[in-house]
Amino acid sequence: MAEQIIKPDLNFINDVINSGGESLKKCFQCATCSVVCNVTPDDKPFPRKEMAHAQWGLKDKLFSNPDIWLCHQCSDCTAYCPRGAKPGEVLGAIRKLSLQHYSSPKLLAKMAGDIKYFLLLFAVPVLIFLTYLGITGKLDFANVPKDPVKGIVFSKLIPTTFFIDPVFMAAAAFAVIVFARGIMRYWNDMSRNAGTKGGSIIGAAISAITEILAHRRFNKCEATKGRSISHMLVFYSFAGLAITTTWALIYLYGPVIMKFLGMEPLQWLLGESPYPLTDPMKILGNVSAAGLALGILLVIFNRIKNSAKAGIGSYYDWLFIGVVFFVMATGILSEVFRLMNNEMLAYPTYIAHLSFVFFLFAYAPFSKMAHMVYRATAMVFAKQAGRE
Amino acid sequence: MAENKKILIIGGGMSGLTAAVETAEAGNDAVIVEKTPFLGGRVAQLNKYFPKLCPPNCGLEINFKRIKNNADVTFYTLAEVEKISGEEGNYNVAVKLQPRFINDNCTGCNACAEACPVEMPNEFNFGLDKTKTAYIAHNQAFPFKYAIDARYCKGKACAKCVDACKYNAIDLDMKAETVNLNVASVVIATGWDPYDAGNLDILGGGKIKNVITNMQMERLASPNGPTSGKILRPSDNKEVKNIAFVQCAGSRDENHLPYCSYICCMASLKQATYLREQYPDSKVRIFYIDIRTPGRYEQFYWKVKEDPNVTLTKGKVAKVAEDTATGDVELVVEDVLAGKKITEKYEMVVLATGMVPSTKNFKIPGDISYTNDGFVAMSSLKKGIYAVGTAKNPVDVAKSVQEATGVAIKSIQSARRSK
Repeated sequence: MAEQIIKPDLNFINDVINSGGESLKKCFQCATCSVVCNVTPDDKPFPRKEMAHAQWGLKDKLFSNPDIWLCHQCSDCTAYCPRGAKPGEVLGAIRKLSLQHYSSPKLLAKMAGDIKYFLLLFAVPVLIFLTYLGITGKLDFANVPKDPVKGIVFSKLIPTTFFIDPVFMAAAAFAVIVFARGIMRYWNDMSRNAGTKGGSIIGAAISAITEILAHRRFNKCEATKGRSISHMLVFYSFAGLAITTTWALIYLYGPVIMKFLGMEPLQWLLGESPYPLTDPMKILGNVSAAGLALGILLVIFNRIKNSAKAGIGSYYDWLFIGVVFFVMATGILSEVFRLMNNEMLAYPTYIAHLSFVFFLFAYAPFSKMAHMVYRATAMVFAKQAGRE
Repeated sequence: MAENKKILIIGGGMSGLTAAVETAEAGNDAVIVEKTPFLGGRVAQLNKYFPKLCPPNCGLEINFKRIKNNADVTFYTLAEVEKISGEEGNYNVAVKLQPRFINDNCTGCNACAEACPVEMPNEFNFGLDKTKTAYIAHNQAFPFKYAIDARYCKGKACAKCVDACKYNAIDLDMKAETVNLNVASVVIATGWDPYDAGNLDILGGGKIKNVITNMQMERLASPNGPTSGKILRPSDNKEVKNIAFVQCAGSRDENHLPYCSYICCMASLKQATYLREQYPDSKVRIFYIDIRTPGRYEQFYWKVKEDPNVTLTKGKVAKVAEDTATGDVELVVEDVLAGKKITEKYEMVVLATGMVPSTKNFKIPGDISYTNDGFVAMSSLKKGIYAVGTAKNPVDVAKSVQEATGVAIKSIQSARRSK
């Protein structure tokens, strides 16, 4: 065998331990984990080799590899580990460090993974929205006009077109740029590490996407069986909400654009929100919100139920779960309070909702939200490289 | 205080027998209390000792002979300690004797077993075959006296054995009784039980016919075992030409036994030689986390490893399935050194299950504490109470014998101190 020089990174070992992988050093390399794992390839299976690499501090080997993302944290490995080394939790910690490695600015990445900075990060959207309200005098809700028919109209608190959309567009653009830089670096690292590889990237992408849509890998989990259903609920509810948002944008800007083009706006383009509960867009939105509520509650329930065999998870996991939960809860409550026409409840809840949504999207590349981008990338790479 | 030289030994296995004969030959009375109807313990169930590969009767038989020839050793079988009180030099012990239903008239002629209509699982052979309810464990059992198992015997309603016995040796009216002893010291030599393979769900233990334990393998290879020493697999009595050993089946696993059971690596290497000797074209593969052959046992490992038909592979087996068509057993394991997950079929698989101290499930009455794993906690022992062999940690036969000899002198010292 060719001689290899390894460069252990002691700080990395401590980072893994401090990121939820405190059991790392218990591993004695018996390989039970690789055998009970149903989602690993047979050649160079995970997670045993990742445990060795992490114990030795071989950060680059771990980051420049699709395997840490092929892992779906079924926790079959953790359930059967004879040492309580919790490979599932360790790989979760490595994934967090990998996200922090590939996303920049580094400072933001660090803050998103540390409970100390939560309030600071959350204060950013809160201050953005409160500042607006302060300047416009709308902190006193009496100054916010109501619609004589519809009652509370949130765009009268904060205008959609002139404030919310620019803020969220900026946040989204920031996230997209960070993501793009991150996955480009990740892809290059994986390519360098794997050497030459064959296969069409289009075919690999189609295959990966159908696999994700069907949750085929998730379904192979045994120790944490219910996760596939809860994840699917959250996943498809988010998809439903994404469609709802796009649909709402069409309602809002469709008539404007048509007028600009000199056309008569179509009847069904409703313009400004709120929309009647019977509108198909509204129905999709409400159904998706209910699905998200059920899904995220199931996620929380499963996590607690499985904690004995799978581990309870890290701050990083719970921050993501918590933010999704509050996006859902504040969203649903905003609608309920609006329909109740109670501005003392509706406006603060709506501001909280906007802040949580901002948190979720602006910090997506640094939070566990990024798993969808990196896991999808890793799956495409693995398929293209014939690593199944 | 009156001179009290008696020493109680709980357990009639290799450690207990050794402690008893060493004590008695130094001039102190030794009393053995054994739970089963026969002495010899786990060693009697072995085919060969490692590393010398000699049969166990070479050690056991000498000890039985020493007991027979020495009036200072008495023993009770089917006996359990019920109560221990007092202090060094003056322990009062109550021993409950369960009825054997067969008295000293027994000549071992086997007529009762032939007459007995009730079969029961043969515990001595770990359930690999059946035996009559009037039985003797094996052809070299000591005492060579049949016993009737009260759990299965239909009693006087049947009594076929009583008619068959020409020597008036059977007494179905025999009752349990209690014996009170006054002793100077107590030696705990309660030994071990094999870990229950039924707990090893992913290894098919207790579910797949051709997945057996290492102790069952001893019985299969043993001349007085269920197959008269021919290694045939349980499902169809086929000669086993391709076998795998799964090391650490339960041991070094915090879901089962968190400790290393010490003997299993040597046992599997030894059992590899059973098969290799019996079937020259056979193949053996041993899957391990680490091969642990401490001290000079390393040489035995080297010797077995030299055999080209024995392959040792680093990797813990964690999935086992049955091929119902052939009865073969399919294993999944990561070959750690090659970095590949492999799936292979074997005609039979041996789980190298570990040692559970008998005291895990049966606590000795009195002021004795145990570790979380059920071993006797040595620091808790009162003056004049000693533990030896696998009652205190997993050890092999050789170490048990050495420790028992050492404990003999300790218990004699207890007796002398209290004069």
